[in-house]
Formats: sequence, C-alpha cells, structure tokens
Amino acid sequence: MIFQKIRPWLTRLYPRAWRERYGAEFDALLEQCLHSPLDVVDVFLGALDAHLQLWAGENVNWRMMNMVNKLRTTILLVFTAFIGFVIAGFGLVGLADDSPMIPLMQTNTPLAVSWYMIHAGAIVAFLTVVIGGLPLVLTVIRKAFTTNRRNLALLLVPVISLLVILAYVGFIFLVWTGRIVLPGVVQVVQPGFFPVGNRWLMEGLMLVFILGAAASTWAVWKAITATDTQRETFHIPARTLTVDIYRFAFVPAVIASVSMLVMLISTLVWGWISFTALPQVFFGNFGPWLTNTQIWYFGILVLMFLCTLMAFIGLARGHKAGITA
Amino acid sequence: MEAPEFGRFSDPAILILASLAGGEKHGYAMMEDIKATAGVTLYGALSRLEQNTLIKALPADERRRPYRLTPQGAVFLRQYLTSLEKFVSLGLKRLAA
Repeated sequence: MIFQKIRPWLTRLYPRAWRERYGAEFDALLEQCLHSPLDVVDVFLGALDAHLQLWAGENVNWRMMNMVNKLRTTILLVFTAFIGFVIAGFGLVGLADDSPMIPLMQTNTPLAVSWYMIHAGAIVAFLTVVIGGLPLVLTVIRKAFTTNRRNLALLLVPVISLLVILAYVGFIFLVWTGRIVLPGVVQVVQPGFFPVGNRWLMEGLMLVFILGAAASTWAVWKAITATDTQRETFHIPARTLTVDIYRFAFVPAVIASVSMLVMLISTLVWGWISFTALPQVFFGNFGPWLTNTQIWYFGILVLMFLCTLMAFIGLARGHKAGITA
Repeated sequence: MEAPEFGRFSDPAILILASLAGGEKHGYAMMEDIKATAGVTLYGALSRLEQNTLIKALPADERRRPYRLTPQGAVFLRQYLTSLEKFVSLGLKRLAA
C-alpha cells in the first residue's frame, strides 16, 4: 500500500520533540489506520497543529484545568516543608537542652525573645497545618473507606510509623529503667561523657523518627494525589458545610510558610546571640550526645532554610496559577 | 474546575476521557472504542490531555503505549458530564412543555 510506504515520511512532518514523545506509538497507530488520502490530509493537519502547539508554548486556555493540580502541589509542598521543620525543631531542642544557652536566656532578653519567637512560630505553624489540613484529611479518610480503598494502605503508614517510634521510645524507657540491659549502654549518663552504646541508641531513635516522618509524608502525599475530590460536604451539628478543600487550605498554608520564615530568622538570631556570648559552646561539643555544636546548628539552619524555600516555591506556584484570585 | 476551551479537540478529548473511564487503553483501542475519531485527531487530543495531567501514559508495550485516566481527569469528566446532564434535562423539559 502506497500509504504505508509514505508513513515514515508523514511522521517526520511532526516536530522532533513531539516525535520523541509520541513518534513510536503514533507510527504504530498509523500502521493500522492509514487507509485513504483523507487520512494523509489529517496527518498534515495534525503536524501543523503540533507545530503551532509548540510555538505557542503552553496552551493558556488549559491553565485553569491545572489549577487544582497546582493548588494541591502547593498544599503538599507546604506540608512537607512543615514536616522538615518538625525534624529541625527537634534538633534545635536537642541542641539547646541542658546547654549553657538555657541559663543565659534567663539574663539575656533578646536571646529569650528569639527563643520564644521560635516557639510561637512552631505553635502557629502547627495550628494552621492542623486547621487547614483537617477538611483535606477527613475527605481523604472518608474516600479511603468508600470509593478509594487503595488509600487505606497508604493511610496506615503514618499510624505504623507512630507505633514504631512509640515502640522504640518504650524500648529506651526499659533500658533507662534497667529492665533491659544492653552492653555498652549505661542507665545514667555522667556529665561530659556519653557512652558509644547510648549514642547509638539515641541515633537509632533519630533515624527511626526521620524515616517514619519521611515515609508518612510520602504516604500522605500519595493518598491525597490519588483522591479525586476538590470539594466535600461535612455535616456538623445543626449545620452542613461544603468546603473547597484546597482553597480552604491555601490561607493556612501562607500563614504556616510565614511562620517557618519567622522561625528561620529567629533561629539565626538565637544562634548569633548565643554563640557571640558563649563562643566556647559554638566551637565545642555541646550538641545532643556531646556532638559538635557547629555541625548541629548549621545542619538545623540548612534544613530550615530548604524547608522555607520549598514552602515559598509552593506558594509561588499556587499564586501563579491564579489560585488566590 | 472551569471548563477549558478544547477548540477542535473538544469532542475527542471528552470521548477519550470517557473511553479511559472504562479502563486503560492504547491509541488504537481508544479509536475502536469511540469509533468517531481519526487517529491524528486522537493524538492531538491525547497530547493535550496528557500535558494537562488529565490522563497518564503508562509504560509502552512494544510500540503501543496504554493510557490511564488520572484522578484529575476523572474529576473533570464527572463535572463535564454532570453539567451536560443538567443541560439535557433542561432541554427535555422545555421540549415537553
């Protein structure tokens, strides 16, 4: 058949980028359905359309269709950033705990203010994530039990992660109370000396916590992405509320992101004041389990910075999509 | 979700989404399913649907690549069909009057 002979030439009418993506499957399709001169004309028109599409860049008329996707990604990026901040926050508490910075905060007002600002930011971020995410989480759970049962397994991941962390904490408690004896691990750590066994035990807790947080965040991300609902009706006593779940979460996401920025700046100020007043602490081993202070502090700062950046990139995507309009 | 302008790909896009609502299919199977669309038009619509994440390409089986409806695609199709349903019932009511 003449049409089959010219098939490779017809496919080449399409832009290279288009061919790289669709060429093979399109050729397979033409093999089966290229039968008449009208089909050839159709290929010409299709190639013209593909070139026009390429020149025009992204089709603006389709942007609105992406709105929900972009808003969902925004919310998920801010949520992931928040989880990163939780990890960084635990690191910061571990750094400050039992350190010379604690007594210094009682006499140094700016240091105390920056410390309380970190706490205030953490509380605001937590509340906004809970409030903004509540309709979304309820919707995902509801859908998981009705129409989207595959999500049930994903929703079990945070539960299992929490149970594993609690089990590990329980194990440490049993070691601490002497009910379990581990070689190289002492019940009471003396000031200035942290045994290797105890360090491994605590590093294990940190690892379990980070892995649990990462796995839970991944599972929540997947479950939300797989839930095809953007509006949900909730029945509360004497009222029925219909919530646009992603739009509802956007303002809390903005507040949570600003709180993260406040925490980042406060952590910078707190570190600068602390280590200016106590340089021996900064250059010493006052981190958790008597590890290097600088490594902990800068590690926390880098994590906070990356998380804040991620949250604001998410917000920018949402804003660009015209979500806030 | 507001309805986008599909241009000349309006009908094929909806037909493809409706076809994929019944399960994963590759290009030729979709054509067989919806009958009314030429292969070239099909790919014009397919590329736009994929670009807008309403459908998802799955790993190719030799040269054929199956596609699957995404959750967003399902939302869009449901909204489109619901609005169409309202339109149809209104039209039928007016005809009956």
